[in-house]
Amino acid sequence: MSSERPKLGPDIPKVITAWLSASGRVVYLTADRNWSEELSDAEVLTGAGAVDILAWAAKDQTRVSDPYFMQVTLDGKVAGRETIRETIRARGPTNHPMFGKQAGNN
Amino acid sequence: MYRYDEFDDTLVRERAKQFRGQVERRLKGELKEEHFKPLRLQNGVYLQLHAYMLRVAIPYGQLSAKKMRQLALIADKFDKGYAHFTTRQNVQYNWIRLADMPDVLDVLADVEMHAIQTSGNCIRNVTSDHLAGANLDEIEDPRPWCEIIRQWSTFHPEFSSLPRKFKIAVTAGETDRAAVRVHDIGLHMKKNAEGRIGFEFIVGGGLGRTPFVGPTVREWVAKEDLLSYLEANMRIYNRHGRRDNKYKARIKILVSELGLEEYRRQVEEEFAAQNTWEKVVLPQDEVDRITAYFAAPKFAALPAISAAFDAFKAGSREYARWAKNNLRPHRTPGYVSVHVALKQQGEAPGDASSDQMRALADIGETYALDDIRVAHEQDIVYPHVKLDDVPAVYAALKAAGLHASNAGLASDIIACPGLDYCNLSNARSISVANEIQAVFADPEFEDDVGTLHVNVSGCINACGHHHVGHIGILGVDKKGEEFYQVLFGGRADEKATIATIQGPGLRHEEVAPAIRRVIDQYLTLRRDKSEKFIDTLSRVGQAPFKDALYAAA
Repeated sequence: MSSERPKLGPDIPKVITAWLSASGRVVYLTADRNWSEELSDAEVLTGAGAVDILAWAAKDQTRVSDPYFMQVTLDGKVAGRETIRETIRARGPTNHPMFGKQAGNN
Repeated sequence: MYRYDEFDDTLVRERAKQFRGQVERRLKGELKEEHFKPLRLQNGVYLQLHAYMLRVAIPYGQLSAKKMRQLALIADKFDKGYAHFTTRQNVQYNWIRLADMPDVLDVLADVEMHAIQTSGNCIRNVTSDHLAGANLDEIEDPRPWCEIIRQWSTFHPEFSSLPRKFKIAVTAGETDRAAVRVHDIGLHMKKNAEGRIGFEFIVGGGLGRTPFVGPTVREWVAKEDLLSYLEANMRIYNRHGRRDNKYKARIKILVSELGLEEYRRQVEEEFAAQNTWEKVVLPQDEVDRITAYFAAPKFAALPAISAAFDAFKAGSREYARWAKNNLRPHRTPGYVSVHVALKQQGEAPGDASSDQMRALADIGETYALDDIRVAHEQDIVYPHVKLDDVPAVYAALKAAGLHASNAGLASDIIACPGLDYCNLSNARSISVANEIQAVFADPEFEDDVGTLHVNVSGCINACGHHHVGHIGILGVDKKGEEFYQVLFGGRADEKATIATIQGPGLRHEEVAPAIRRVIDQYLTLRRDKSEKFIDTLSRVGQAPFKDALYAAA
């Protein structure tokens, strides 16, 4: 049973996020079409063209798995109804502050 | 405990080798994720919120010290030094790299373990009573039958692509500790009118989005017909189970939509129509061979009373409390079963560090006849411990931080990993569980409240079994905010009942205070201290508890 993410219209600022295929680490798509583990490196997308970039990301299957749109503010901070999920995903489990990106050991 | 023969060993190692090739192809880009996903799932590999997660099967929840140490080794070498024991008697690792998975499967194969069929639309790990072979009310040890089903169902070609996952549990006690009525098929070993032991077939139970207590399809099935009757059920499900809608694909929906009588008619027709050549009649010598692996250990002849144990209990309130709450009677004089609650205050329910796992292994080897069980309550159980050894066991558990004295009490909470780890979850479970645990931090208060099962799930998939908690908590997403619905009146035992949702969800910080108000209401309403929460609820109804739940809202 897969998790379904909310649909984001073209006007909503978003980034593309996925998991690295080899490690499963959470990554974000950068403007130069690379994948970074830092959300701050991600390219913030708006407009109808974002769909084409997601389609490109979906084909980048050697490097990543299951890319999807994630809502952010215009300056790239986590936003929207999945803020809690994506904040945890970006940082690490709230009950285990010693694990994940928040601890620098993901 | 069952030991692998050459066929088992070859099968598991060949599967690990096959998966190594699949992983290599995935990492080279020769396999796309959409094609790789069903392959990894068949080997227990999920992609979770932060990383890949590996679910390892613990058949009917039984481990040896050697296996437990190997699980600890995996935690240290490939993960972050801990593991999570689940409500289906499995163990999960949260941080393993895909590239390392084949090596992990090899390490598991070295101790006769694997992750086969711990995911995917197949027959999953068969679960059982964690006190099997030790408890007082058992008519027969169910584990050989679990093992027979495990062997039959592993790579069964007809049932490897079912409409949805399929869970089987077997119990043989009057008290159901395996939650058989909320499984796809629950088998309850019982005697028929002639005194022969067979199986009651309970089909179509389950939790999740549409919870059901399973109805009895047949009161008694002979042992020799076990696999044939299972096949008849599986065939009806495989033939008619819905594949167009994953939310309606479990057998519980089929049984419900067909109606019990029609479902039963079809199963009986299928069972009767099985040809001689396809009927799986269990050969007695094979049953005997497998049963021999589960022969009772050689218990020492001991008096029923132990001076050492009595002195231990008298030694302090701490010892007495632990003994009262965490020990279970054993059928053999001088022995007891020890319940190790993986529920220390503030820890994730079901988690154990690698050091704790090694301590559990050492204790199991030294004091518990090398028999270690995982309970579906996410706890560890030693079924066979001498009363004389209980003081030493407690000391060793305490040294490892595993001495929570709350087995079966309010802070012995079942909780799924929730939104802190799970890709499907809507809300956090662990933090809510920890906050509820804190309500019961005072041992005297928790003892006064007595038996209380609190189950927490982070989403409707119900891995935290919230439907069958005396108090269930269900995390939901409401416009991006975590809310928690509260349910009352569930139970997973032989009186299995689906709990009732009380009303609007509470905010995260409101849950623990609300539970405290509900408990205060119980303390006011109970007849006396012997009346459990669930019984008071049943006697007076849910309304006063609901009033208390929302009193401050």
